Amino acid sequence: MTMIVTKELSKTYHDNEVLKGIDLEVRQGEIVVLLGPSGSGKSTLLRCLNGLETLTKGAIEINGVRLEAGMKNRAFKNNLLNIRKQTGMVFQQFNLYPHKTALGNVIESLLIVKKMPRAQAEQLGMKMLERVGLADKRDAYPSKLSGGQQQRVAIARALAMEPDILLFDEPTSALDPELVGEVLDVMRMLAREEGMTMLVVTHEMSFARNVANRVLFMDGGVIVEENDPETFFGQPKTERAQRFLNKINQH
Amino acid sequence: MELVFENWELLFQGAYYTLYIAVISMFFGLFIGIAVALARLKGNRPVRWAARVYVSVIRGTPALVQIVIVYYGLVDYGITLGPLTAACIALSVNIGAYLSEAIRGAILSIPKGQTEAALATGMTSWQAMRRIVLPQAARVAIPPMGNTFIGMLKETSLVSFIAVPELLRSAQLLIARYYVNMPFYIGIAIMYWVMSTVFSAILEAVEKRLSKAY
Repeated sequence: MTMIVTKELSKTYHDNEVLKGIDLEVRQGEIVVLLGPSGSGKSTLLRCLNGLETLTKGAIEINGVRLEAGMKNRAFKNNLLNIRKQTGMVFQQFNLYPHKTALGNVIESLLIVKKMPRAQAEQLGMKMLERVGLADKRDAYPSKLSGGQQQRVAIARALAMEPDILLFDEPTSALDPELVGEVLDVMRMLAREEGMTMLVVTHEMSFARNVANRVLFMDGGVIVEENDPETFFGQPKTERAQRFLNKINQH
Repeated sequence: MELVFENWELLFQGAYYTLYIAVISMFFGLFIGIAVALARLKGNRPVRWAARVYVSVIRGTPALVQIVIVYYGLVDYGITLGPLTAACIALSVNIGAYLSEAIRGAILSIPKGQTEAALATGMTSWQAMRRIVLPQAARVAIPPMGNTFIGMLKETSLVSFIAVPELLRSAQLLIARYYVNMPFYIGIAIMYWVMSTVFSAILEAVEKRLSKAY
């Protein structure tokens, strides 16, 4: 079953064309890693998929719900909310709500968006914190948590809405090196679960190599190469991808 | 100075009116301020423009002129207000403009990622504003709003001009009765100063608490 489709998706900021007609299909349960140099459009593509960026041209379809560039207001808003309920997003800077506890962060949208009774929301919220191994931090405010813990709470917050798709926008890039592992472990656990579709923008090559079903290599607003990870890292087809991998391996 | 103590009742009544006008104006000004801040940030073009003009006009004209427009000016259009009502309306509209700037700045100071995180979990932009951005912005806005209130406390002396029996007006009445100036003026100056100092201390305590919170 196809979960994500984009058709000639373009995004322009002022005169700068960041995405140049992206055509993409992702099946349910696929783990897709987006690689590429900074400014290649990976994050923008991800943010277009849940409507945090408007589309300049083209269309996306998430689990059958369509969003088109230039769509009329009412229909657009309904579809946008619908899409956001089916996708969870994890941000580079975590973006936890500082005025809410770990549990408060996780259950906020259960209360506000799903109108769930508090007791039920807290029960579900605790289950999510347990999944990321932070049940004991339920009453801690984000400022009292390490970066790794904050990002795991942010993952629990995204999971609580029970999305079909999880979008990760450089989830470990803002972390101290020794905290990267715990976040990647949680992501690996999610990837093993049945049916979760994941799109991950990352610079963690080992994660891409070991966990992804498919690697998309982007540069200059287009998908330059698309391959299974073994082939991509072993014998990249394009010269641009070869250069990228060489540069990374030098470090 | 004896005359001041002898007439404490009238002066305290004046101080009561001063506080009353300041608190009422702050209360209604707060609603105006929030509405105008949101209008400037979220409104469509005509709404944003109207809000900007409001803030610019209020900040660019003397409060005393605003007061006489409400009290004397509106009479031409058949709207006759009591001095106290006119004072509260004029000062609410006045302080609303200043508060809207403090609130707008506070909302803008909340990182965009907060709204994005809320939207990404399915909230509407209004839910994100109400549940995530405004509670955080309130903390940021409290110190400047407190200072605006203390400023307002002193501005209220302007409404003596339309014969509201607040502190300055009470002193003027006593001066007319006893033909001495200084003791009464010094007396009310001290009373203004005590009131501002008390509110400053309260504000400082609140700020200390806020900085400790999360």
